[in-house]
Amino acid sequence: MSDRLDRTLTEMERAGVDVLVLGREGNARYVGGANRLALAGTRAFAPGCVVVRETGAVHLLSGTDEGVPRDIPPDRLYPLSWNPANLVGAVAAAPGARGARRIGVDGLTPLFEQLLTGAFPGAELVDGEALMHRVRRVKSPEDVAAIRAAVRVVEQAVGAVVEALRPGVTERELLGIFEEARCAQGATVTAFQAAFSVVDAGGARRFVSDRAVEDGDLVAMRAGALVDGWEGSLARTWACGDAWAERQSEFRRWHTAWPPLVDRCRAGTRVGDLGAHEGVTLHGAGLGYEGLGADAVLEPHMVVELELEVDGIVGADMLLVTADAPEVLTRFG
Amino acid sequence: MTAATAAAGTELDLPRMRRERLEKLLAAMVAQGIDCLVLLGQNNVTYAVGARVPAAEPARAAHRRPVAVLTRDDDPHLFTAFPEGAPSELPADHVHGALAVEWDVGGRALAAIVPPGRVAIDEYTMPVRAALAGRELTDAAAVLGSAKIVKTGDELECIRRAQAINETAMPEVEAMVRPGVRATDLSGRFLRRVFELGASANTVDPIFQVMPPSVAAGPYSGTGDVVFPTPTRARELEGGDVVWVDTGINFEGYASDLGCTWVVGGARPHHRDQFRRWRAVVDEVLAAVRPGATAGDLVRAAVPAGGWRPWLPHLYLAHGIGTDSAEMPYVGTDLGETFDDSLVLAPGMVLVFEPVIWDDGRAGYRAEEIVAVTETGWTMLSARADAPA
Repeated sequence: MSDRLDRTLTEMERAGVDVLVLGREGNARYVGGANRLALAGTRAFAPGCVVVRETGAVHLLSGTDEGVPRDIPPDRLYPLSWNPANLVGAVAAAPGARGARRIGVDGLTPLFEQLLTGAFPGAELVDGEALMHRVRRVKSPEDVAAIRAAVRVVEQAVGAVVEALRPGVTERELLGIFEEARCAQGATVTAFQAAFSVVDAGGARRFVSDRAVEDGDLVAMRAGALVDGWEGSLARTWACGDAWAERQSEFRRWHTAWPPLVDRCRAGTRVGDLGAHEGVTLHGAGLGYEGLGADAVLEPHMVVELELEVDGIVGADMLLVTADAPEVLTRFG
Repeated sequence: MTAATAAAGTELDLPRMRRERLEKLLAAMVAQGIDCLVLLGQNNVTYAVGARVPAAEPARAAHRRPVAVLTRDDDPHLFTAFPEGAPSELPADHVHGALAVEWDVGGRALAAIVPPGRVAIDEYTMPVRAALAGRELTDAAAVLGSAKIVKTGDELECIRRAQAINETAMPEVEAMVRPGVRATDLSGRFLRRVFELGASANTVDPIFQVMPPSVAAGPYSGTGDVVFPTPTRARELEGGDVVWVDTGINFEGYASDLGCTWVVGGARPHHRDQFRRWRAVVDEVLAAVRPGATAGDLVRAAVPAGGWRPWLPHLYLAHGIGTDSAEMPYVGTDLGETFDDSLVLAPGMVLVFEPVIWDDGRAGYRAEEIVAVTETGWTMLSARADAPA
């Protein structure tokens, strides 16, 4: 049994959850390790993965074992159906699931709530996303190694963008260069649509345009990659051409604020206290984005992404939290 | 792949598109007795409000999701972390900061602004569910579905333009295909080109799947059917490989869908024969497409009497497309004959046909063609599929 599944089952035991029904791909990948086709955007809840506490088994929505680890045998795969009742039927048919009293779900729709309630009369539906969040936030050495691999990919791809950053190149072209350089490393899935935008009165824009970069422009870069589902991402602001010296003053506030913020990302710090700083965002990262509520407190072996945007200057790093100052995982630049 | 038939330059009026979509949604709310429509699904918010957010993997998308709240007598309210993606005509006092609906605090904040009455909601996070406990909630699928299934002219133009970007990118990718090239390098060139050409986003990991000659020679299949799609792997192509391509990008909120079949090193006669049979299936089906025809009529047109259903049984003969890459109308799914016979085609519906010809032992041919139903028949939104080169 994998360490990740083991941790999940332990938390299910602690929370008295008999069955977990997971619709979120990051959760499913965490417990099952399967590589299914990656889609962008929010997805309405549907049962894509089932964990049964009594048997310790993971059941997956998949028509094939391609991309599915060997410890999930074919009889634990259930097929896609356009009839939601069939999917809930597959959940109920998982050995050991039938008598479940407490079912954790990581989202719902009114229809699936009705179907699950019908298939498990009297069972209570509880917050499986909160449960998975508790399981996933602290990273094992294997998890951190996977994140480091993703960081290397995104750093190399951003390096290709910096290489191409010359007057006349458009924001769209920079995005294209990033995409191709990431895929050249076998990583075809992005964590989010990267943005390479000329810093102007609107700050660091999130969508690329046809705008051409001019000599002396500052370009805000936010980029990420998923490698085997694990996220590497960073943000930097880069000057085009020989402008570094003349625009150095614009970075001053950012450079002043940044080191103390990084230093505070250590065990015991309350997320909301860091997030209250103007221009700061802080969230967890692992198998994709992991939210951190304002009341969450950083613990050793969490991986977080800290971002600061001041005066249109944006920078972000992934940090491995320790009892002391964090280890900066993204070293680009 | 022939050149894109979808000529950019046809008039596209995005504010008009947003206005007409909203009118349809409000009409559906009135017809179904819904007082408030709460939308947490990104594509549904796009449909209702026209809000743009950066494409992201599902967890990031969920945490940074836009939320829309619609009532019958007011402009929609948009809650977003990306105000630069809000449509310009939305009043400033209707564009708000993001609602943290992944947390209790956000769930309570949302519940506090949902007015009394019947509420339709597309999905909920568990904190939202807890905060709305005791309210009269119904699934928003009926409201959304009735509005979305028929496209306005501007929506059709968005799909046409999304498809044109997708089609324009593909010849450059196909030109790379030769033994020794890695499938993931095809993904890289494809993504680079679609963004250069103006794509708003990419929404699915581009699929360049090398097909086995037979089902038995491929990965385990739970149903005994052809396994497709699977994620693209960084494997080198070999001469004779049959590659099934399936890609989809987004333009102004609308999806494209381009499927085709390539043969590494060049097609042989049986590959071209598979294409001819695929063409015949699509032509038979297209001859049946008109307002008033049912999805069941299309299924029967595709299947010779007692014959094999020439599509992947876990998918469909055809699906709709819009702000979702696959949406109603579905044709030939496991929802079955009664469902298909009850689905009546109307002008403005869009159909993506994706039949499959499979000769076990010699792989097969798959491609996609998109049409919109018109008053008298149909019109192409995609290029016609080609025989493998």
